[in-house]
Amino acid sequence: MSQVQDLIGALSGAGKNPKETVLDEMKRTGKKAVGCFPIYVPEEIIHAAGLLPVGLWGGNTEFKEADKYFQSFCCSIMRANVEQGIRGTYDMLSAVVITSYCDTLRAVLVNWPVAVPNMKTIPMILPQNRIEPAAVEFMLEKFEIFRGEMESISGIKATESMLEESFGLYERYRAAMRDFTELAGTHPKTVNAVDRHYVIKAGYFMDKEAYTEKIEQINTCLKGMPDEKAGAKVVLTGLLAEPENFLELLAENGIGVAADDLAQESRQFRTKSRPDGSVFERIAYRYMDLRGCTFFYEEMKARGQMLIDMVKQSGADGILVCMYKFCDPEEFDYPVYKKEVEAAQIPMLYLEIEQQMDSVEQLRTRIQSFKEMIM
Amino acid sequence: MDKKISSKKMLKEMMAEHYSDALKRKAEGKPVVWATSIIPQELMEALDIAVVYPENHAAAIGARKDAPVFINHAEANGYSVDICSYARVNMAYADILESEAENIPIPDMILSGSNICCTAIKWYENIAKKFNIPMVLIDSPFNMSYDVSAESVKYIRKQIENAITQLEKLAGRKMDYDRLKEVMKVSNENAIWWKKATDLLANKPSPTNGFDMFNYMAPIVCLRGNEKGTRLFKTWYEELQANVDNGVGPWQDQEEKYRVLWDGIACWPYLKDTYVKLKSNGINVVTSTYPESWTLLYEVGDLDSMARAYGGLYVLRSIDYITDRLSALATGFKVDGIVFHSNRSCKGMDFKQFEIARRLESKFGVKYVFFDGDQTDPSTFSLAQYETRIQALVEMMEGNRQREVHGI
Amino acid sequence: MFLGVDIGSSSSKAVLINPLGEIVGQKAIQMGTGTVGAKSVEQALLEETGVKRSDVLFAVVTGYGRMTYPGCDLQITEISCHAAGVCFSLPGTRTIVDIGGQDAKVIRVDQAGRVVNFGMNEKCAAGTGRFLEVMARVLGCRIGELSALAGKSQNTVKISSVCTVFAESEVISQLAAGAKIEDVAKGAHNSVATRVAGMCNRIGVEEAVAMTGGVALNQDMVKSMAAALSVPICVPESPQTIGALGAAHFAREKYGRL
Repeated sequence: MSQVQDLIGALSGAGKNPKETVLDEMKRTGKKAVGCFPIYVPEEIIHAAGLLPVGLWGGNTEFKEADKYFQSFCCSIMRANVEQGIRGTYDMLSAVVITSYCDTLRAVLVNWPVAVPNMKTIPMILPQNRIEPAAVEFMLEKFEIFRGEMESISGIKATESMLEESFGLYERYRAAMRDFTELAGTHPKTVNAVDRHYVIKAGYFMDKEAYTEKIEQINTCLKGMPDEKAGAKVVLTGLLAEPENFLELLAENGIGVAADDLAQESRQFRTKSRPDGSVFERIAYRYMDLRGCTFFYEEMKARGQMLIDMVKQSGADGILVCMYKFCDPEEFDYPVYKKEVEAAQIPMLYLEIEQQMDSVEQLRTRIQSFKEMIM
Repeated sequence: MDKKISSKKMLKEMMAEHYSDALKRKAEGKPVVWATSIIPQELMEALDIAVVYPENHAAAIGARKDAPVFINHAEANGYSVDICSYARVNMAYADILESEAENIPIPDMILSGSNICCTAIKWYENIAKKFNIPMVLIDSPFNMSYDVSAESVKYIRKQIENAITQLEKLAGRKMDYDRLKEVMKVSNENAIWWKKATDLLANKPSPTNGFDMFNYMAPIVCLRGNEKGTRLFKTWYEELQANVDNGVGPWQDQEEKYRVLWDGIACWPYLKDTYVKLKSNGINVVTSTYPESWTLLYEVGDLDSMARAYGGLYVLRSIDYITDRLSALATGFKVDGIVFHSNRSCKGMDFKQFEIARRLESKFGVKYVFFDGDQTDPSTFSLAQYETRIQALVEMMEGNRQREVHGI
Repeated sequence: MFLGVDIGSSSSKAVLINPLGEIVGQKAIQMGTGTVGAKSVEQALLEETGVKRSDVLFAVVTGYGRMTYPGCDLQITEISCHAAGVCFSLPGTRTIVDIGGQDAKVIRVDQAGRVVNFGMNEKCAAGTGRFLEVMARVLGCRIGELSALAGKSQNTVKISSVCTVFAESEVISQLAAGAKIEDVAKGAHNSVATRVAGMCNRIGVEEAVAMTGGVALNQDMVKSMAAALSVPICVPESPQTIGALGAAHFAREKYGRL
């Protein structure tokens, strides 16, 4: 096996086994871990306080305990998080940070302290009105409180210089991820859809420094390799692209991922920081500057045009909509960008998916036909 | 003495006028705002800008059982059946622009508040884009602490100030702050009359039935800022007080045997069915988690205080706050049971119901039932299911009474 | 004599008891509300026992068809009737899991057999007998054969879709991929058990637990349910007529008191 395949294999494996990866990283770094609910959490502050931020994005879990709190028409990622919380899957974490980007998350904020009483719960309430300059002030105050909470968990002061250092590391990580997703788009054979996803996902479970170094190594290897031709290339949009057997269908059909507009992937790192201001201001302005994400209010909704541009820039043949059932914000966006994408005559396939899908036969036929259509 | 017109007649006339006035103003070339139901309407009232409330309009369409036409239209445009049916109805109305219930003019601006839900952001983002008009958002952060935090108040207040600037542009004139103060005073007064009236249902027997209260929700949304609202709610209060004084209960042909709290929005397409079944069992809805949301009280002339009131809604609060409020309602209104409407449209309320139900049951032994329904989409409700569950509630409430009587 | 009739969505049941509360006869017919089955179950039971309708002092009807069933003195919900029925056949029961054709319910009762709390499935067939019917159809077996089939399972297939329609296509593709029928059957049982266990969690489970309804005749289903709840489950002798039995006891109790 070549070096790049080894590197990809190692990270992909880490992304596939969250619990083991987190436990290994905790052991290796000696850090306590803090869980972060979707969609965005200012991880830099957690890192600066000497803690390991861990992403909590559901899982293929059977629901039993979570049914105590939610009706069946609740987003499966949130149900999975609560289920796993109750079952003790997250017991190695010192605290869990819960956000409030949608009505379901707000309800999770209400239920979690009851459902998982022994876990320290820290709310991260971010403003959704980015036209309002006061949103920045609001964030700054929230970040200050958050810093204190993180410090009390680790017992380590997150000084300005440590914050600066962590922010620098995260900027380096985000730049590496932007490079990686671009290179993965031009090397769809070396980085197939499944590996691409798990390599990115591993970043949620590993210490960012070690992880970023690995990504940079992969990037260096990929840069030295000639571009590869895939059967077809698509842009993924939506909350996230799971489960694995769905991504396997892409690999199986020779469909590469040219670029993504997934909340779990590129939306996390596609926005560059502004050059000046305090660390907290730079974190805040990254949220203010993020475009095309359904979880923030956006005047005139840029997402449709962004997807069209993404298809053009990445040379993709079409768009795959990964629609998580019961994700209201994504469901609201779809009709709007659908109209624009259709007007631009870009083929688009709408797939309703859930993490708890053990059989993907229906999807298989649809994905295969889509490939036959766009080729 | 002049023969007083009843509040019900007043309500009908005032609501008809509310809609016709908005259409008339639009025809005269004046601006119209579409707004969410719990928004600082004071600003528009003070600037004399016409406002319509699509949630109210969608409820009216739902109550007439006209929603399916709109729902199908929205679905054809790609809207999932899982999202709020008020939003689906309204977004389809924005295309069709014709309904038998009422008609509303096309908006020139949107004023949306995330205090009622995050859905309000996505819904109106789409409407604003469709009509290519500005949308002003007043975002209210969720309150994990028991009270509304100082930083939230500041953030909301700034957004209210920005809304004033935007609305001034739309109106073509500056805000008269003395006038705003007057409107704030009227709005508080109306909220007080609304509360005083709905509080009278705590009497045994209750002076009216709770479904009657649902009817008055349209005016508390649409007329909260003007003198018409004051007249209406004061009259309603007096009527109810007279019933209390005369010992008049909710019905002439039925006794109030059980008193329940209704959690969630009404099931508008089946308003009559849901009501008749309760009444036939002698069940009166005496209070609800929902009307309390319009008891918005704050210091007149103080934008911070106003921001705190709008940012402190029940749906934005922690489990402890919710439990306290519900407990106060359950004891204050002396309820025997709770009917939870598991409303497919309102995830924000639904996903708290199970825990609330458990808490209230363990605290007071109060009985409860859940039924599936929706605020406008008729397809999720089943009358047979509703009937069985209401009857089972009666049987459980009766069990409670027997235990009280026989002491076991 | 006292008569209890339970008109369900897919079957009709009737039970006759004497003034001492002893069962005189019981009958179940696989035809539900809106069919002739409803009326014929009563007639068949009377014929079988030789009891004249005029000897019936009081009759109570329950089940989904209770509103439209003529000739009874009183109608009571199946929730209260199941509670009463179990109280007589399995005294000491505190939690009842009843899986019927269209709905599943969990009922908590006090020592006197009165309903303390209950939960029911949402308006969806997942976790109900209907789900098992659909599964049996896909597997090409009769509903009565599911238990024996699932009992043979060595390698249970996981059916994760909570929606019956999705689960159906999931099962078809599992079979296409070579899964054994018995493993899918067991998977279907586990799927129903998980859904119902979720519902039980909402209101809490207190032992002893009993299972009623036609689905309780499926022994392997009871096994899956017990495993999902991690508690032993008792099944009364005639689980499908428990609602009707409860109705008959209500008839005896209410007679002369109304």
